[in-house]
Amino acid sequence: MGTRIESAATSFRRGRLFGRGALHLTDAAARACLERAHHRADELDLLINAGIYKDRNTAEPALASIIQEDIGANLGGPVHMGHHGTFSFDVLNGACGVITAAQLIDGFVGHGSARLGMVVAADADPSPRTSRQFPFSPAGGAVLLAHIDGDGGFQRFELRTFPEHATLFETRLRWDPEAGFAHRGRNVLEVYEAPAFASCCVERAAEVVGATLATAGLTADDIDLVLASQYPRGFGTQVARRLGIPTDRVPEVRAELVAAHTAGPIAALEASIRSRRFAVARHSLFVTAGAGITIGVALYRN
Amino acid sequence: MTPWMLAEAGHAADAPFVARFESLGKSLPERRVTTRELMAGTRHHTKIDLERLTGIREHRMCGPGETSLSLAIGAARDCLGRSHYTGADLDMVISTSITHYVDGTTHRFEPPLSLSIKQAIGAPAATSFDLSNACAGMLTGVFLLNDMIRRGVIRRGMVVSGEQITGLGTNAAHNIRSILSLQLASLTLGDAGAAVIVERAPEGTPGIVLAGFTTLAEHSRLCLGMPAGHRPGARMFTRARKIHQVAMSEGPPLIEDILAQAGARLGEVDWLIPHQTSVRAIRSGERVLAEQLGEGPKHTVVTVDEYGNTASTTLFLALHRYLTEGRIHPGEKVLLLSVASGLEIGVVLFVMDELETTHGHPH
Repeated sequence: MGTRIESAATSFRRGRLFGRGALHLTDAAARACLERAHHRADELDLLINAGIYKDRNTAEPALASIIQEDIGANLGGPVHMGHHGTFSFDVLNGACGVITAAQLIDGFVGHGSARLGMVVAADADPSPRTSRQFPFSPAGGAVLLAHIDGDGGFQRFELRTFPEHATLFETRLRWDPEAGFAHRGRNVLEVYEAPAFASCCVERAAEVVGATLATAGLTADDIDLVLASQYPRGFGTQVARRLGIPTDRVPEVRAELVAAHTAGPIAALEASIRSRRFAVARHSLFVTAGAGITIGVALYRN
Repeated sequence: MTPWMLAEAGHAADAPFVARFESLGKSLPERRVTTRELMAGTRHHTKIDLERLTGIREHRMCGPGETSLSLAIGAARDCLGRSHYTGADLDMVISTSITHYVDGTTHRFEPPLSLSIKQAIGAPAATSFDLSNACAGMLTGVFLLNDMIRRGVIRRGMVVSGEQITGLGTNAAHNIRSILSLQLASLTLGDAGAAVIVERAPEGTPGIVLAGFTTLAEHSRLCLGMPAGHRPGARMFTRARKIHQVAMSEGPPLIEDILAQAGARLGEVDWLIPHQTSVRAIRSGERVLAEQLGEGPKHTVVTVDEYGNTASTTLFLALHRYLTEGRIHPGEKVLLLSVASGLEIGVVLFVMDELETTHGHPH
């Protein structure tokens, strides 16, 4: 028994249209993802949102419940409906949220407590006028995960943190009494990234991937695809180089998705599905890196 | 028959192990503020008797230097102080607070708070992440740990939350004019931290008998919390009456359905610990459950009168309180019930065991 990837989809802002925030991006990706796999929203047992930067920085409820409502997944309780419900919540684990969410869904779907789950993720600058150095492109993604009786699908998850590097990347919402109209004060989103952040992510990711492959009895040669975070830019290619994996095994994502945050690994997955490389890859390696420094790794087998 | 909720029973063919609660911890700010004092601070003169409406007498409120993070760390340390384990024994740490304040009203998005918490309690190797599920956060964390422990992926983990949430009330006090204000519920909140360790239960121990969750998403926008526009901190808009109505109409059949999965009935539950929003809401829920299911739990736990609504920590703060007071005994069945924005409904049914004897007696 296991969990296989049924489909993936991404979304991004088309043209220069503003006002299309994280919720719109997530809803669009979620709908496209379900449509591609010919599944209905009410078949979902579990929906986890892993996006961090939400419209108006909404903290309550979990954005996943709003997405669930927007896509029409089992809206009411058994008083009004028929078969089963959908459970949704948010995971907040920076750039590694999609891997964490996939691991949680694998727990329920892989062992048969649930049949179908979806991870969604999107980030957009919550308030461009009062954010400083927001580095991520507005992008969303969704990946649909289904139960299989065979032994393929996700094989192993690894999540490691390196708190000695915790100060290399930090984002905060802070009250600035001088900001805003007439300097009346605003809550300002501030992003701090140290110059060493990107190289440190690559170094630590290579370390964690190396250990994970060794535990799984695999070598770099066995990896057919590297599906990586899109931020820091060039992260996937550099990790592949460090591990001795040919860089043509790192799919290129479309220009709008370069520097996507939590949806980064989904963008890479979608690109590999489109190019039909995912279907023929024996072993795919998901690798993500973000603040913490946190490294997420997942091994997937077709 | 498949239950409406996503659910997992304790003993099942697909999982070799059972999970149970091993330890609980709490951390409460020293500062106490009465509901009367809070209402006296509203900018507009109102005739609202919030204490009579909610039954909440008092709230704890963070003082200087106390934050979501410090409350979470305090609760985690208190939890470990009553546990057989040290931080290094934990395989997983999940932080589940709605608020993420690390310094005054400075909210941290990244890195997650769980990273700082596990560092503070000496659990550097534990897998860690934050989750957000409104006031159902801690029970969601328990639901996830239960799944991983049952399958043998981990042996034990901690769910922790620190809620520095009374700032919502401070901001609401500037706007409230009448009982119809959508910000009125912000004045029922209290600050608190809570932590719980969930472990693999010894063979033959009943532990967590059932865990289930669902989201009634057609009501997802009934309570919205976000940073304030022109003030530090956050604000929250709640359609409290509507949430209560939905919970009263949808909750009882869901609870009956999920309990049936474990071959249990509400009448067999010794202690119902519901999310603590107000004494009146809890009593009304108790009545509706009894009417609709034909029987009620033997006892219902109420602590909101003294702590206020402490968001994601209420269930474990209440459990901690009743255990410390020696009111819950080994062998008794306890039903934890979350009702939260989303609209989330979650249940965990467990049988009290050693937790009762170790609790309140730090090593």
